[in-house]
Parts: sequence; C-alpha cells; structure tokens
Amino acid sequence: MNIKKILVANRGEIALRVLKTAKEMGIKVVTVFAEDDKHLPHALFADESYSLGTGALSDTYLNKTKLIDITKRCGADAIHPGYGFLSENEEFARMVEKAGIIFIGPTPESIVLMGDKIGSKKALEKINVPLTPGYHGDDQSEETLMKEAKKIGYPILIKASAGGGGKGMRIVHEDSELLESILGAKSEGLKSFSSDKVLIEKYVLNPRHIEVQLMSDTHGNHLHFFERECSIQRRYQKVVEETPAPNMSQELRLKICETAVEIARGINYRGAGTVEFIMAQDGNYYFMEMNTRLQVEHPVTEMVTGADLVKCQILVAQGDKLPMKQEDIKQKGQAIECRIYAEDPDNNFMPTIGRIDTIGVPTLRDVRLDCGFLDGTEVGVNYDPMLAKLVVWGENRELAISKSIHSLDEVLFLGVKTNRDYLKRILGHNDFVAGHTHTHFIPDHKSELEPKALSNDNIASLIAALSFSSKKKVFIGSSETLSNPWTSLTGFRN
Amino acid sequence: MDKSFTINGKEIKVQDFKHQHDTVTFSFEGKTYFYSLISRDGHEMILDDKGGRFRAAVGTTSRDGETMVIAGGNEAILSDSGKKMKKAGAHAGGLASPMPGKIFKVLKEAGAEVKKGEAILILEAMKMEHSIRSDKDGKVKKIFFQVGQLVQGGVILAEVE
Repeated sequence: MNIKKILVANRGEIALRVLKTAKEMGIKVVTVFAEDDKHLPHALFADESYSLGTGALSDTYLNKTKLIDITKRCGADAIHPGYGFLSENEEFARMVEKAGIIFIGPTPESIVLMGDKIGSKKALEKINVPLTPGYHGDDQSEETLMKEAKKIGYPILIKASAGGGGKGMRIVHEDSELLESILGAKSEGLKSFSSDKVLIEKYVLNPRHIEVQLMSDTHGNHLHFFERECSIQRRYQKVVEETPAPNMSQELRLKICETAVEIARGINYRGAGTVEFIMAQDGNYYFMEMNTRLQVEHPVTEMVTGADLVKCQILVAQGDKLPMKQEDIKQKGQAIECRIYAEDPDNNFMPTIGRIDTIGVPTLRDVRLDCGFLDGTEVGVNYDPMLAKLVVWGENRELAISKSIHSLDEVLFLGVKTNRDYLKRILGHNDFVAGHTHTHFIPDHKSELEPKALSNDNIASLIAALSFSSKKKVFIGSSETLSNPWTSLTGFRN
Repeated sequence: MDKSFTINGKEIKVQDFKHQHDTVTFSFEGKTYFYSLISRDGHEMILDDKGGRFRAAVGTTSRDGETMVIAGGNEAILSDSGKKMKKAGAHAGGLASPMPGKIFKVLKEAGAEVKKGEAILILEAMKMEHSIRSDKDGKVKKIFFQVGQLVQGGVILAEVE
C-alpha cells in the first residue's frame, strides 16, 4: 500500500528533513508543534499543522495518545518519529500499529531488543559479534558491581543500561571513584530512563567511534551504506561527523560494514538502523549499540552515496523492496557534518539562548544546511541546543574541510552564541586534518582549541562594524523582525 | 573624541573617534584606522578598510547593552558604554546560575562547611544537570532558592563566605 499522508512526530530540522523527502515523493505532510514552537518553520511549512498545546514534553511531543489522535483525525496513514523523542519508544510503536497506522521505523521487538543494552549484547553473543569485556548481569547489587568492575580492570566505563547521549555514563580510573560512580550512573539512569540498571565495560584507550548505516526491507534485503566516523564529541555528544572514515583500510571498512549487516540479518531488522562500534587504535572493533532510528548525522551518508535514506525508510514502511542492491552503493568523495549548537564552547559548552537575528545562507555547491529555525526566531531552554547541521561534500577530504570552514563563516547565527568558531578551530586543527580522530579529541586538545586572541586589527574592525550599525537605531529593537516575511507569516497561524 | 568599548569582557579605549556618514576613523594602540561602509542589508554589511573589503554583521543589542558582532570571520560580544560586562560567577562570594533553568537539588544547607569545587546545588537546564560548585573553601552563607524553583541565567543562587 502506498503511503499518502505522513504525520511527523518531531520538531525542528528533522521534521523539515522528513517533510522534504515526503514532498519529493508526492506525499502530504502533517506536522505538530508545542505552543512555544509555533513560530518555527516545522510549524509553518507543512500541508497541515496541529498544536500539541503547552506544558512539559510529556504533554506535547511525547504525548503518545495526542499524537495518535491527531494522526487519525487528519487521516494520515503513517507516522515518522524522526530521532530522539518517541523514535525508539516501543510502546509508541505498538500503539501506532494497533491504531492501524504505519510506523516508519523498526518493529517494536527490535526497539525492545536494542534499547536494552544488556539484552542486546546477550542476543548478539549468538551472532558472533565482537563485544568488549564487561559485566552485563542482572545482579545489580553494589557489591557485585564493584567486584565485577575490579575483575575487568581499570579503566572501566559504567553506563545506564537504557541510556544514551552520555546520560548515566561514568569513566572510573581507580577504586576510590568506583562506588560514587556506580551510584551516580544509577541515579541518572533512574531519572532519565526510569531504570537504574547499569552495565560495566572495559574502557578502550583513545577509541574511535565508527558506525555503520543500515537499511533493511521486509523482503530479506539487509544493506549497508558504509561507515561514519563520529569520534569528535563533547560530553559524549557528537559534534563533527564524516564519511568515509579517514585512515581506515578498505579491507577493514568492508569487514566492519559486513559485521553490521550480519547484526541486521541476525535480528531480522526492518528499516533504518545504525550499529555503533568502538574501534581501538589497532583496528579491533567492538559492538557498542544499535540505534533503531534515523541518525542525526545521516546526511553525510546521503551526500557520499547519493541515497535518500528517508525515502528508503518510507518505501520499506509501505512494504516495498529497497530500490538498490549492495553493489550499487558506492562512496564518492568526502562529506563532513558540523553540528551547530547554541552553546559556549569556551565556557564549558554551557547552553546559550537568544533570538536569531540572521542565520545566513551557505553559497558553495554541495553544501546543505539542515536547520530548524528562521531569522527572528527564539532559541529557548526547553529543547536540545542543536540549531542546525552544516553538511558539506567535497571531492576529497581536504576540500571537504576547506569548504566547511568557508561555509561556517557564511552561516552566522547572529544573535545567539554558538560553537561556530569552535568548529572552525576543530576543522583547522592539524590532528583533525591528518585524520587522527578519537573520542577524546576535544578534551585532549583543549588548550589548542582555545580561541585565538583577537589582534588589534581584528578589534578595530569589530568596533567599526558596531559603529556603522549603532548610528541607525532602525537596527535595534523589534522593527527589523516586523518586516521579516517569515515572522509575518506566522500571523495567520495564530 | 576618546571612546571606550568592551570586547568579550575586556575594556578597549580608542582615540580620535569620528563617525561621519559612511566612514568611521579612530586610533587604537598607536595605529590609525579608516573604514568605509560599502553596503548594508539588514544586519549584514560590507566594509572597506582601505586594504580590502570584508563582511560584517551586527546583532540586536540586548537590554544590558551587549551586541554580538561578526567582522572578517571573528565573532565577539561588544558594548560601547565602556562599562564592564556582568559575568556570571564574578560576583563577590556569590555563585550565579550559568543559564536559565530549574533548581534540581540543594546539596548543602546554610552554615555547612564546603571545600573549593564542592557542589552546593544542582541546576537542571537543557535536560542536563549542572553542578553549582563552591569557588572557595568556606561556609555556605545563604541558599537563595529551593528545589523546583525556576531561575534566570546570571542570578546569584548561593553565597559562600
């Protein structure tokens, strides 16, 4: 059956991303928005858009019943959950299918299996997937956990079993930190994921984060779209991602991709998924987790393989065969994604807020800005601080880097402190240019990534720019936004 | 005319500042600068410094007089009053919230002894927990908020003496 209308149960750039492909496929799109998001583009540019009201996330984007009610009322036949929010919520997937709506995602069974980090590793032991030495047991007493931790040997990593995004995660180097870390991971897990179950793993020194993009249909086809290198992280959250991974032999690349495909086949997976691996400096790799959704960083894969991963998701969801074969999928050139966050990297990556005066437009070829904001919109405290993703393709890695640095100067995000300048420092760092990436890149290069002191000439040009604007008060205050066509567009939605 | 600016919290003094129509000239650290405005569109502009042209952009000025300015690839927070910016945490003995959020936990009571770096309370913002730590060895004088209260950024949350 062909999907005719999709409700996107998400916000920001990913809602717009799904909208774009749906439109390419002639599918109608319904979006939803919390009241504090009503001026953002995902609330403006769909065929239909419905308010989720106000309140906590559980009343808006996480309100399963409300989302399903709206889907039924507007006659949509499918729900795309995006990433985050309800994308890996087994109960929601079940509720959607029970209501006779297509869930554009994996089966609820796959979500359950891969959502539980302990359960997933147990299941994978049968498929011969390399796992890091660790303790994944059900006995969660402090005594057992401490005993197991010492058995594995320091350094170790303690993780909330249901965790993600770095929440409920602790690295322990010695006995004296152990108990506090176990208790900390447990309480964060309980708070963020309603489970205080933790697992312990050997901590790999200077590891790389390598992941493989998978896509499976319901006709037994399990394809990979090659790997992504996502080692550049702060607080366990990715900042820069790229593909192909630099400094990786073709042999190793194919091996790790094959391992990932075996996992998809082994659990009879459906739809888009990503297997994340920890790769040691010697090329040994270990399964970390499988994300049963579209990833934030999927565009780099799209740029290099030419595939539209959202289109594949939709085709699979309506029961079609994937339109390509493994041998058709090839990597061409290099793509880099920079995540633009509303944060101050020079003040411990603290989130920032404000109103965006001007976003700016990238002008080079093969540059994509996936952004959930418009000029004049507000960045608040209620949601993830990621403002946009700048995705740049180049014929080779050197060009992808130089084009990215140029493009970062074009997307200003004027008005809100962002990590834009910091991203330029990362991309310009010798070790990044040489492809020496590992997950401690940011903390290890902390001092070299500090802002360069402004020269006298820099200071003078900043003063000149300020002087030219402050002369005319028309720039200050709200007169500017009133004439903004996007903001005036919101009028009829209110 | 002498004029002072604050750039990223640091005070900068310039001399012979003159702004006429589309030109600005001033001396800074012994060098004379001359800029002309080539074009302007909304917040963005093109300037010429006699040596070449560069792009610049100036944001909306906030209530406390701060403006985000981008010029030739450099980004900074400027104010032209010359007064020092209020920096979170810079208040004597006061620990300020680094951003807007909700008080998630109060770990120390008034009167408790604390060591430098020890967490006094936890602020929840952007779905993350941020420990507010003591900036010195001492005694907690006062906690100004209770669990569950919403606070603005830059507000003093606790005092240590």
